[in-house]
Amino acid sequence: MASITTSVGSFSLENPVILASGILDETSGSILRSLRSGAGAVVTKSIGISERKGYSTPVISEVGTGLLNAVGLSNPGIDNFVEEYKSFPEKKKTIVSIFGGNVEEFVTLAGRIEEIGFDKVELNLSCPHVKGVGSEVGQDLDMVEEIVSEIKNRTKLQVWAKLTPNVTDLIALAKASEKADAYTLINTLRATGVEIYSRKFVLSNTIGGYSGPGIKPVALRAVYDVYKETGKSIVGVGGITTWQDAIEFFLLGARAIQIGTALLYEDYSVYSKVNQGIKKYLDDEGFSKLEDIIGAMVAR
Amino acid sequence: MNHARVIDIVKENKDVFTLSFDFSIVAKPGQFLMVWVPGGKEIPMSLSHITSPPSITFRVFGETTKFLSGLRKGDRMYFRGPYGNSYPEPSGRIAYIAGGTGLASVYSMLSKYIGDVFVGARTKDDLFLLKKGFKIATDDGSAGFKGTVIDLFVPHVDDYDYVFVCGPEPMAKSLLDKIDRKTKTKIYFSLERLMKCGVGICDSCSVNGIRICKDGTIFSIEEVLKMNEFGVFKRSESGKIEFFAKNKR
Repeated sequence: MASITTSVGSFSLENPVILASGILDETSGSILRSLRSGAGAVVTKSIGISERKGYSTPVISEVGTGLLNAVGLSNPGIDNFVEEYKSFPEKKKTIVSIFGGNVEEFVTLAGRIEEIGFDKVELNLSCPHVKGVGSEVGQDLDMVEEIVSEIKNRTKLQVWAKLTPNVTDLIALAKASEKADAYTLINTLRATGVEIYSRKFVLSNTIGGYSGPGIKPVALRAVYDVYKETGKSIVGVGGITTWQDAIEFFLLGARAIQIGTALLYEDYSVYSKVNQGIKKYLDDEGFSKLEDIIGAMVAR
Repeated sequence: MNHARVIDIVKENKDVFTLSFDFSIVAKPGQFLMVWVPGGKEIPMSLSHITSPPSITFRVFGETTKFLSGLRKGDRMYFRGPYGNSYPEPSGRIAYIAGGTGLASVYSMLSKYIGDVFVGARTKDDLFLLKKGFKIATDDGSAGFKGTVIDLFVPHVDDYDYVFVCGPEPMAKSLLDKIDRKTKTKIYFSLERLMKCGVGICDSCSVNGIRICKDGTIFSIEEVLKMNEFGVFKRSESGKIEFFAKNKR
């Protein structure tokens, strides 16, 4: 059978299917469940300096083509995170997502998680619905550049920069974060939804992020554009539910993929189903390893 | 998002209401809805009747439930669901143990499967939906047995083939602690945790990686015993661990 091991920067993964930040990755028990169900790695829910309750419900709303959410970066804050995760057994398969409002906050968070033995961070430069952080930071090219370089200078962490698709010039953003070990593309699209009989917004925060099958073409375009321009390691995310979706991302340059909203439609068996499908595709198409199809459709 | 017209709203006691609504729902006993107040919050609520017309029974404890208690016949109500699994089909002798508004959930079983009902409340004024023959426990002894519903029930566990439990987590934990675990009686718990999404993706209600909203809300005693977080700590809205007070029932 074909090999589906892969690497992102210097991180080697047994398989390329990763749980995306924000879905079923707040509690350590759920992270372990994903890993034991066959995820190659897991990204945690984003952690900030201080505890945040997040927004009032409703925080999600299903739409025909995916999901709207405005959970609002609820997180227990870095002190409580450290307390829960200091003796967590799967630190090498867990990428900690962090968010902050400025360079110093990102650097502090990165330092704290490195201290307890994690070696990878994903920078949330892209949450579309919280003021002063996420994509508001992530659209400031100078700040993005400084956040990435400071973390690279001051820690040994591998850094994945999760970029927002809600910009005109994604390439400029990718270049600003080029010191990162990898790009995670993409976060949710800024969106809203309406309930017509009450004439109210479906999310308490009005604005949320749109994920799921409907955003896959946008995510594919982002992966294609950035891979073509930079050739760097890319973790593809956005609307991946099946192995066929995953293959599309590999062909356009992604070295691994993340799934999130898929867990609304599928159970925890989704990891093994996608991995089995990838293996079978590689076998059927005469490839001996996943590496052989990564970026195969992109002329560089 | 579904919407339906309120058929009736009944005040069951000082702060518990049953709201029935016009909707042909396909639900199993023990399932819940995410009920939304437009412009306000969305909260999980057990169905107390699943046959037509369906109803929810709830205690007023905040803005959302206060708003719902003020709805009148003909007003619209909004909800998603039903969600969650359901109580398994029982046979033989059945007992129901309900604490607080946990009675709403077990009520959805009662019309189909007759059994003995053990109800716990703080005082007689907190009781609701009572029927003849219910076995009652109150903390202050103002009605029935003085003490907890678990203490009232535990001596009788072997009289039953199936037991269904719904109530606050410390109550369920107390049953786990007091019961003879070698009992042949099949015991099922409907569990309750802070829920945000109701559909198994936000992780707010997870206990040891088990999603109360999607893998449950109903679990066998064997499944609950595997959850070493159960009855020990819960999660706040931020995801922070909060320990239950010790020695509290």
